[in-house]
Amino acid sequence: MGCPVAKRGGGADHANPVNHRLWSTATCYGIILPSLVLLFTFVYLPVLWAFSKSLYEFEVGGEARFVGLANYAEFLTGDPATWTSLLNMLFITVFAVCVRLSVPLVVAKLIYMLPSERARYIYRILFLVPIVVPGVAVLLIWNGMIYGDSGLLNETLKAVTDWANGVFGLALPDVRIGWLSDPNTALLALVMIGFPFVGGFEVLIYYAGLSSIPDSVNEAATLEGCVGVRKFFLIDIPLVLSQLKLILILTIIGGVQGFENIFVLTQGGPGFKTMVPGLWMYFNAFSFQRFGYACAIGVCLFVLILSLTIINIKYFKSTEEAQSTP
Amino acid sequence: MKRDHRWALHIPLGIFLILTMIPFVFAVNNIFRTNSELDHAFFAFPHCLKGLAQIGVDSVTGTERQYLFYDENGRKALGGRDEALPQYWVQLKRGPGLAWSVIRKYMLNSFIVSGLTALGTVLIGSVTAYILSRYRFAGYKYVFMAIISTMMFPGVLTLVPSFLLVKELGLLNTYWAMVFPYIAGGQVFAIFVFKSFFEGLSEDLFGCARIDGAGHFMLYTHIVLPLSKPVFSVVLIMNVLGTWNNFLWPFIVNTEGKHHVIASGLYVLATSPHAANYATLYAAYAISSIPLLLLFVYATKPFISGMTSGAFKA
Repeated sequence: MGCPVAKRGGGADHANPVNHRLWSTATCYGIILPSLVLLFTFVYLPVLWAFSKSLYEFEVGGEARFVGLANYAEFLTGDPATWTSLLNMLFITVFAVCVRLSVPLVVAKLIYMLPSERARYIYRILFLVPIVVPGVAVLLIWNGMIYGDSGLLNETLKAVTDWANGVFGLALPDVRIGWLSDPNTALLALVMIGFPFVGGFEVLIYYAGLSSIPDSVNEAATLEGCVGVRKFFLIDIPLVLSQLKLILILTIIGGVQGFENIFVLTQGGPGFKTMVPGLWMYFNAFSFQRFGYACAIGVCLFVLILSLTIINIKYFKSTEEAQSTP
Repeated sequence: MKRDHRWALHIPLGIFLILTMIPFVFAVNNIFRTNSELDHAFFAFPHCLKGLAQIGVDSVTGTERQYLFYDENGRKALGGRDEALPQYWVQLKRGPGLAWSVIRKYMLNSFIVSGLTALGTVLIGSVTAYILSRYRFAGYKYVFMAIISTMMFPGVLTLVPSFLLVKELGLLNTYWAMVFPYIAGGQVFAIFVFKSFFEGLSEDLFGCARIDGAGHFMLYTHIVLPLSKPVFSVVLIMNVLGTWNNFLWPFIVNTEGKHHVIASGLYVLATSPHAANYATLYAAYAISSIPLLLLFVYATKPFISGMTSGAFKA
């Protein structure tokens, strides 16, 4: 039986201290009840169902049939889509990690080096503005306007080849292609969305990290002649490790479970060229009505995310400790 | 003496900024262009805007000339100012007008869903955080554990079973199919932020009020609320940011398509016959960006802190 941090005063109507304590505990639970009800109904129940329903095979329009671990066995060994989609996911995630740990950090550093406080603020705000555009709209803009048959990319290529053909008398062929529908370019076109990858949010996070580096460290570095690129790699990067770690974890989680962009743009196609496990889960649930199988895929991805997160936390903790005890 | 060369930093930053903005600039440009304009010349200003500008210049200088415009049937025509001007206007308003007529209901749904969610999350989250930060009742540890453990479960794990649950509860095709799960998930982080803020409030205040006979309701409304206005706006904005752009869940639970929010509505629009007119699409993207843009302009500080603190959600 715990007791309130601060006992309620007064309490003439609760002369008995045990009754009083019971009453105040009950009041506490009464007040947090809505929170708990929502939490257990809409978070814990689905989590439990994810595990339990993954053991069933749902017949279309029929009863669910208990199949044990057959869904897991099918996903891990029997499904030809599994490895294709996992490899695509790996490529997308690694690419995302590479660009999100580098470009926004460089931009944040460039902004941080600006002399005027005002200019620094304005740049941070300007890079943040695109966030107001709904993500789906950004994807659709890229789909139609950049990658479209007569979109920015194709028209630019055409203009360049026309110009080169005209000026140098070359006979370059027409290189216009459907970037997202061509099997050779679909996956690359997908990950290039958002070029040049200056996420305003990441810039903010890295900027906060850079500005929390103590002045004494910066001054000492300058005195020692450690400036420019050398300082960036030797001083700045080790000191924004915790920000890098945050973005790394977020990017990995997003890469493993994200499929909205692929759903909007290519639906996993052409063929299975851009299929990822999350999207395969979606199709199994909502197109093939195989809810049990979809739940099994979800559980597998959960296990993957959990283990990656744990590895991440452990690995980075050790490097940070190494930093703090030289 | 070394000269300060730091102005040169504007060059790479400017290039990054231009590259980032290009898609949005072209999208806005395309709001006012017809399909045939787009097909014939990708890089060009809208015909109607050029025409309007020309008319403006000519009326100042007093020049008379014939203008090229598209008539009601989309055919090219030449005419004087009085003929051309209304056609240019029609062309200018066509995309936004059509787009607005389609996405108006999606916008309304978005406002209802995000509004109910934000209010519910802030209310429930702050009340629960008030209890958790001020009282160590029996079982406190387990309640707190139960709340923070939910951060471990990614959306991909619960997506399908959540759909089955919402279906079982008969909530499909209602606002509640979105609002309840959003509050249930969003409250966790709200509780976190509120709790750490409330713990910083002086216990003396609460003690004095209790001696004066104040109950939970009085403590909440007379001490917690007045002292925590900034954190309330941060959580509110954080929550709106979290729900406004959600696409997949609204798309899944609106099997009949009546309660689409702006994100899922844009996808529906882009896959509908309306998408044949590009200007409509681009206008819809632009209009759908306005609410968050206004929020961003009028509440930059809480917007930024809401966004960065929201990051630690995952």
